[in-house]
Amino acid sequence: MKRIHAASRYLAVVLAALLAGGCAGTMRSYDSELKQTVGMVSSGHVDQALQELEKNNSAADKDLLYYLEKGELLRLKSQLPESRDAWLLADEKVKIWEEEAKTSPEKLIGNIGSVLINDKTRRYDGQDYEKVMLSTRLALDHLALWNWDAARIEIKKTHEREAIIAELRAREVANVEEDAKQRKVKTEIKDLKGYPVETLDDPEVIALKNGYQSAFSHYLAGFVYEALNEPGLAAPGYRKAIELRPDVKWLEEGLKGLESRARKLKANESDVLIVVEAGSAPARSSVSVPIPVPYKNTWGAVPISFPVIKSDKSVFLPAQLNVDGKNTLSVYQITNIDAMARRALKDDMPGIVLRGTIRAITKTVAQKEAADRSAIAGLLTTIAAIATESADERVWRTLPSHILIARAILTSGRHTIGISGPFGTKTVTADVAGKHTIIPLRLMGSSLYATLPQYPSQLLASSEAVTAEPAATDTTNEAAKSAVKRKTLKQKAKTEPIKGVPQ
Amino acid sequence: MNMSRPSLLLLSLTAVMALGLGGCATTSPEVSSGPVKYGDAKAVETVTNEFGSTDLQTIAESMARSMLQSRPVTQSRERPLVTIAEVKNKTSEYIDTRAITDSIRAQLLKSGAVRFAVDINAMQNQTDELIRQNQTGMYKKSKSKKIGQMEGADFRVEGNITSIVKRSSDIKDVYYKFSLMLVNVESGVIEWADEKEIRKTTTR
Repeated sequence: MKRIHAASRYLAVVLAALLAGGCAGTMRSYDSELKQTVGMVSSGHVDQALQELEKNNSAADKDLLYYLEKGELLRLKSQLPESRDAWLLADEKVKIWEEEAKTSPEKLIGNIGSVLINDKTRRYDGQDYEKVMLSTRLALDHLALWNWDAARIEIKKTHEREAIIAELRAREVANVEEDAKQRKVKTEIKDLKGYPVETLDDPEVIALKNGYQSAFSHYLAGFVYEALNEPGLAAPGYRKAIELRPDVKWLEEGLKGLESRARKLKANESDVLIVVEAGSAPARSSVSVPIPVPYKNTWGAVPISFPVIKSDKSVFLPAQLNVDGKNTLSVYQITNIDAMARRALKDDMPGIVLRGTIRAITKTVAQKEAADRSAIAGLLTTIAAIATESADERVWRTLPSHILIARAILTSGRHTIGISGPFGTKTVTADVAGKHTIIPLRLMGSSLYATLPQYPSQLLASSEAVTAEPAATDTTNEAAKSAVKRKTLKQKAKTEPIKGVPQ
Repeated sequence: MNMSRPSLLLLSLTAVMALGLGGCATTSPEVSSGPVKYGDAKAVETVTNEFGSTDLQTIAESMARSMLQSRPVTQSRERPLVTIAEVKNKTSEYIDTRAITDSIRAQLLKSGAVRFAVDINAMQNQTDELIRQNQTGMYKKSKSKKIGQMEGADFRVEGNITSIVKRSSDIKDVYYKFSLMLVNVESGVIEWADEKEIRKTTTR
């Protein structure tokens, strides 16, 4: 109890200072900031979205989220070197976290600021699935820039990162359980009266093995290792993808064909992986739940904010793609980041509930002790305690909510890929070259973005310039404008020798 | 001061022996800003129970030793020519099987008992080099290596690695089995095979 009294005195001073001076990090609503940015991207205005992002991050010291969102927006504009560089800066920040996770995990598991004020005072290290997705998306940038060796490094980093996360989370769970037991605090979500438990108890969420491993990351690993002629490493990639999504039987084809696919490929053919990303990762918002707190033989209820994720069921997920206007190609949803985000929250909830409950007790003691000294001090502490109470809403919002893939053998040269949906039909024209190619597409609202590979000039010798032509209905948006820019790709294509490239 | 030739030789020998025994006394300056240390690459590693450096070294040493004692190697009149085919990874772990076969090949080559022909993964570089020497017009004909002189391997090495992973709330048990065999390319006869098993258990 001595610890609580000391903390409450500290809290009273901190809260008063916060109320007097304000604190950008503590009061910032990330959900409100990014709602607008995501809306702009959905309507095809990526330049405006980038301006909005810069406006909201005017401080010189940029945080992890700024670089994550910036990398994604630049990728949508097909500014691949800039996107890669932004994500490499984000990766530097994740590496600091990784180093701490390996050498002093206790630093990451406990943080007094979040206990006293709110979880937003914690340094944002990224959700676990975001850290894994960062290296997967960096790999996609490298692949589009036709740097397969750099992509391989990112792929390897993905599975090393997963191992660090698994180790840290196992420790964290044990720590929270032990701490909750000592403090006699209940950390189960069902004990939070009024919290929408159904958002986390969704079958899609429960079916996941954890909140950070994605079938897409591992399938991509399989594809890249296969392209680099490393079947010994490709096999576990495909196998992990199957383990993570046993309901998608089509994934088994990846493993079955591993030994024969390269042999069957003719000289003018390419093994093409089409990646369709849809929607944007779900937002975290706050929900206030009263926490019962004992004080001097009586009980009171303190409203504490907890994060909640509401799934967006309106995202359109195509079942088929149209290739060259005649062939239909099935496309399979293999990663649901919406469900992964909720699973990550579900797994984090015991820790969040523990910190929230301690905060409720500390705030109650601080308010009562301040009120005992003077009525004004008590009132100020109460106001500050309410004003600073909001859940941590920070998440990488421009990340897609769903990832779908299709795979086909296409002849080298120009192809048209079409997606039909409530927005009509959108098409992208892409050149296919090399023995293995990845064509990533992004559906957001009514806009279709394509991040086409920037082939080296040697590979383009027999192909025309890489172009991406959005549907006629889409010519006013920025996807169309950036497509026009991409028409000059052939002139910009690299002329240096290709190393480690599957040709 | 005049020194006779034998005493000069003796002095030099003593100096060489002293250096050999004591090692070179010059120390390199050390630049360090944190707790980074070099360790013994052969030290037993048990950081996690995933496939690690000790497993790779144990498998490579065990397989190379076993193969060197096999009949096709010990009773062959000429040093047999071997090539490495694929070692299939049947686990769900990203184990670089090529790193294992590279280590096995290095140990076999160091023994001098076998020779290795380029494997399928190195074939592209081999043909590129021959084409460069013979078809670019940049090399003297008398000095360039001829096309059509490559030697076919007598044996090929192939195998697989499998694992069984079991978990309970506080125990993780991993069992690896690495199997390797030597196949006579001409006859298709499996001349030698061996296995190496590894079990690792972690208790939380």
